[in-house]
Amino acid sequence: MFERIAGRALVPVGIVVTGFLVVCFVLLYAAIKNVVLRDSVEHANNLAGIVLKSTRHAMLKSDRELNQAIIRNISEQKGVQHVRIFNKKGTVVVSSHPEEVNRQLDKKAEGCVVCHEKAQPITTLGSMQKARSFKNNLGADVIAITAPIYNDPECANAACHFHPADQKVLGTLDIGLSQEATLASLASIRLQMIIFSILTLVLTMAGVIALLKMIVLVPMRKLQDFAEKNEEGGTALHPPKLPYELDRIAQSFYCIRKRLDNVEPNRVNPSPNADPNR
Amino acid sequence: MKADGCSMEAAGKDKMATGSAARDAKSVLRQGLMDDMARLRRFSNRGLFALSLFIIASTVAWRGFTFLPTPQQLVAAMGTPPTPFMISMVLVLYTFSAIILSLSRMMAGVYHKSSFCHVGYALGFYLFYYVADALADNYWAVFGAGFTVLCLESYRIWTFCSDQLGRKQEQLDFLERNGRMPPEEEDSLYS
Repeated sequence: MFERIAGRALVPVGIVVTGFLVVCFVLLYAAIKNVVLRDSVEHANNLAGIVLKSTRHAMLKSDRELNQAIIRNISEQKGVQHVRIFNKKGTVVVSSHPEEVNRQLDKKAEGCVVCHEKAQPITTLGSMQKARSFKNNLGADVIAITAPIYNDPECANAACHFHPADQKVLGTLDIGLSQEATLASLASIRLQMIIFSILTLVLTMAGVIALLKMIVLVPMRKLQDFAEKNEEGGTALHPPKLPYELDRIAQSFYCIRKRLDNVEPNRVNPSPNADPNR
Repeated sequence: MKADGCSMEAAGKDKMATGSAARDAKSVLRQGLMDDMARLRRFSNRGLFALSLFIIASTVAWRGFTFLPTPQQLVAAMGTPPTPFMISMVLVLYTFSAIILSLSRMMAGVYHKSSFCHVGYALGFYLFYYVADALADNYWAVFGAGFTVLCLESYRIWTFCSDQLGRKQEQLDFLERNGRMPPEEEDSLYS
C-alpha cells in the first residue's frame, strides 16, 4: 500500500480529515450539550419561580390544603417528576407524593449539601448551582432545582406567622423535571451530526481519490505503459496525450528515444566495412 | 640494477599503502553509512513511542487523574481556570496548527523530531479540562486531536526515514561497487 503513490498520498489525507472532523464533532457536540442543558436548567428555574409565586399566597395564609392542591396540580403536568417544600429543619411539609410528607431529609443529602456543606449555610446560589441531575428510583433521568424560600417583610409581619425578621431562609422548594425530552433532543442532534460528519468524510475522501486518480494516477499509469513499451525496443512510439507536466515528460522521453534510435544502429551494429578511425 | 630494484620495491610499497588507505577509507565510509542507517531505523520508531506514551497518558486521564486533588481543591489553590469553551477554541487552534506544521515538514522533507512535545500538549489539555470540570464531555476531543497529530507525525517520520534509508542503501551499494561515494545528487533543482 505504501509502495504506491496512491497509498502515500491518501493516508495523510485520511488521517487529517478524519481526525480533525472527530475533534470538531466532539467539541461542537459538547458545546451544544452545554447550551441545551443550561437552557433546561433555566427552564426549571423559571418553573420553580412560578411555583413559589403560586404558593406564596397560600403560605402567607398558612393554608396547607391549598398549598397541597397547588403542588398536586403542578405535579400532574407532563414532565414534572416531583415537587416538595421543605421547612428550615429539612422536613417535607408539602409534596406531590403524599407519603413523603413529614419525612426528614439529611443535610448531607445530594441537593442539600451544596448550601449545608459548612456550619453557616449559604443563602444565595447561582442558577446552575441550584441544579442537580440524577436518576430517580424509576430509572428516569431527572434535573432538580432546589430554590430557597426567602423571608419577606410580609412573612415576618404576618399575624399568623412566627418567623423572626432576621431569619433569611424559611425553607426550600425542590422541583424535579424529567430530562427525557432534553436527552431525546440531544440524541437526535448527535445522530444528525454523526451522519453529517460521515457524509462529509466520505465526500471529502471520494473527492480527493477522484481528483488524484483523474489528475495523477491514470496519467501516471499511461506514462508508465508508454515508457515500458518504448523500453521493449522497436520503433519509438508516439506518446499519448497526457495532462500538465506529464505531457512534457512524455515528449522529452520520446525525443530521447528518437535520438537513441538514430545513434544505436551505428553504435551497436557498426558496418563491417566502416573505418574505425573515421 | 640495485637502485632499480629499490625503486620498484618502494613503488610496490607505495601501491600497497595506497590500496590499504583506500580500503580504510572505504571501510570508514561504509561504517558511517551503516551507523546512519541504524540511527534512521531507531528514529523511525520515535513516532510510535510517542503514540504509546500518549495512550498511557490518555488512560490516566480516562481514569480521572485519581492521584490528583479534586478540581475544586485545585481551583481553590490556583484560582479559576479558563472556561471549557476557551480551552476548546485553543484545542482547535492547536490541532489545526500542528497538522499544518506537520504537513509542511512532510512536504519539505526536513529532519525534525517533534513527537514527544505533542504528548505534553495533549496532557496539558487533559489537565485544563480536568480543572475546569469538563473532562468527561471533552475527553474524546483531546484524544482525537492527540491521536491525529501523533499519527501524522509518526507517518511523517516513518516516510522520512524510509526515504533516507533507501538513499543510504543506494549510497552503500555504490560504495561497494566503486569504492567511493556517489556524486551529490542535484537536489537544488527541486528544493
